[in-house]
Amino acid sequence: MFSTRRSTHASALALGAERAAVTDIGANVTVDPAAADYPEARAGRARTAEAWRTLASNKLVLIGSVVALAYVFLGIFGSMLAPYDYRAQNLADALLPPFSGGHILGTDQLGRDMLSRVLEGLRISLLVGVVITSASLVVGALAGVLAGYFGGKGDKAISALIDITWGFPLILVAVLLVGALGPGLAAMMLAVGIINWAGFARIIRGETLALRQREFVEAARALGVPRRRIIRRHILPHTIPVALVMTSYYVALAVIFEAGFSFIGLGAQPPLPSLGQMIAEGRNYMLVSHWVITVPGVTIALIVIGLNLLGDGLRDIFDPRLRDR
Amino acid sequence: MRAKGLLLYTGRQLAYTVPVAVAASVLVFYSLRVAPGDPVNAVLSPLAQEEARSALRDRLGLDQPIWQQYFVYIGNVFQGDFGTSLLNGNSVGSLLVEFGKRTALLAGLALLVTYLVAIPLGVLAAVKRNTIWDQGASLIGNLGMAIPNFWLALLLILLFSVNLAILPVGGSGSASHLVLPVIVLAVEGIAVTMRVTRSSMLEQLGQDYIRTLRAKGLSAWRVVWVHGLRNALIPVISLAGLRFGWLLGYTLIVEVVFRWPGIGFLLVDSVIRRDYPVAQTLSLVLTMTVVLGNFLANVLYAAVDPRIRAGARS
Repeated sequence: MFSTRRSTHASALALGAERAAVTDIGANVTVDPAAADYPEARAGRARTAEAWRTLASNKLVLIGSVVALAYVFLGIFGSMLAPYDYRAQNLADALLPPFSGGHILGTDQLGRDMLSRVLEGLRISLLVGVVITSASLVVGALAGVLAGYFGGKGDKAISALIDITWGFPLILVAVLLVGALGPGLAAMMLAVGIINWAGFARIIRGETLALRQREFVEAARALGVPRRRIIRRHILPHTIPVALVMTSYYVALAVIFEAGFSFIGLGAQPPLPSLGQMIAEGRNYMLVSHWVITVPGVTIALIVIGLNLLGDGLRDIFDPRLRDR
Repeated sequence: MRAKGLLLYTGRQLAYTVPVAVAASVLVFYSLRVAPGDPVNAVLSPLAQEEARSALRDRLGLDQPIWQQYFVYIGNVFQGDFGTSLLNGNSVGSLLVEFGKRTALLAGLALLVTYLVAIPLGVLAAVKRNTIWDQGASLIGNLGMAIPNFWLALLLILLFSVNLAILPVGGSGSASHLVLPVIVLAVEGIAVTMRVTRSSMLEQLGQDYIRTLRAKGLSAWRVVWVHGLRNALIPVISLAGLRFGWLLGYTLIVEVVFRWPGIGFLLVDSVIRRDYPVAQTLSLVLTMTVVLGNFLANVLYAAVDPRIRAGARS
């Protein structure tokens, strides 16, 4: 009953249009399961080829995906590539502009190498985004599948909880948690988890409801396959496409949120260089040396655009019906 | 029948909103009270005598069990007593009014700008689909969602306040202080609302009734902007309910960046300085605003879309 408002209009809010309404992401990334379960391997290969064609046909999506993957690569291996120690100060070389004194992206107010700091900040921002999104995904998928598959009172309770949670401002929850736990990444990550699981749960519950009616699930039930096995082998694998699409949007949102929260001084604390924290620290110097805020800012924007486009691309691949919208 | 259905729906929504409001108030209260660090330290020097500490604790009611403190606090709130700031003794009620007015002004203007820009742009993108208009709108949409709002704020400050020196860097006092915060707050809303308007409008334009209206010779303008838009706005309204809560969240960040003395600015400041009576009341008021906003959005949504009411009955 509580979910009528959203579910009735799921189809009207087509595409990932509402993805930036933060919790509303992926509300309509309904993936057509019919397109995704041909048993024959030949059809599988054809599908892979089709997926590549889809990806290649949309240049923007292709570029976005490459950018996103490049950043993920830099996030993982970047600290090995960093030319300097990100903490090493050198006040004699403070605020050097990019491409001078051996610093490709210049130095900050304490003479620390911007490139090394951005690489380290990238690692922290992405780590926060990926860890918290994975946790939300696991909790959300579990709640969504259980609610959708079993229905009844449990479903009512979970759906009510989802409705309460998702529409609630993340920043407010995070500020409250900072009140309780003190400033830092822990409070911020906990807040994102508390809110974002509901986004995953909502969509995966809907997917499960639809999958439950499908013939192959009914057949499995008729054959006496245990419920646990039906869920593990027949329901969960089919929710992976939607989950993937949502994950890329949610990681992007977590990166933006982490940056904003660290910027107002409640997230990552110095000397930890998260991207938002770097902008906060650089703020007082931006008038004389804009690169202390433009470099981390452009990095955030590029990661987010890349991840969003990657999400768009995945959606197109998994749901051909939406492609030319 | 119609009014009755809506009334029933409103009743059910209310039956669900009240427990949520109570639960939220308990959570807000507890989360700020379990915080490490004695609030007494926010007022008194660490060297203060134990007598002075216990006197203050007594005055603040901190020696009572926490559930009792909750009821005392809620009782006071209902009598219009929101407590006093630990740091400067101001009544939180008057702070709320003073700072709340500025937040309402900022958020209200941002909402107005958002919808005035986003809806026409979204419709235009749908009507002129796959043209340069559409691509431009989609570019604005992607950028608006990808650029962190606080960073956009800094860039705008650099451009308009520092290089061009035509707008103030931050603070309040004149209409020009509002320009940059309103723009920054509106940008993200424009991006999201425009995309929803576009896809919803596209869906409407494919419907049979649109073809009928066109066939009977109605002007293209009327078909799109009157008949199509009316139905296309339903998801936009639904999104508005959600956006309301998020707008409050974004306002908080924008207020901090521009040092706009509103509720968000005050809340962040009071949390950092451990002025818990202020933090508590502000969080409570913001939480209740969100709960109430969602309730109103649900009812409004049911009022414009009869299918929702029907769904509630079944």
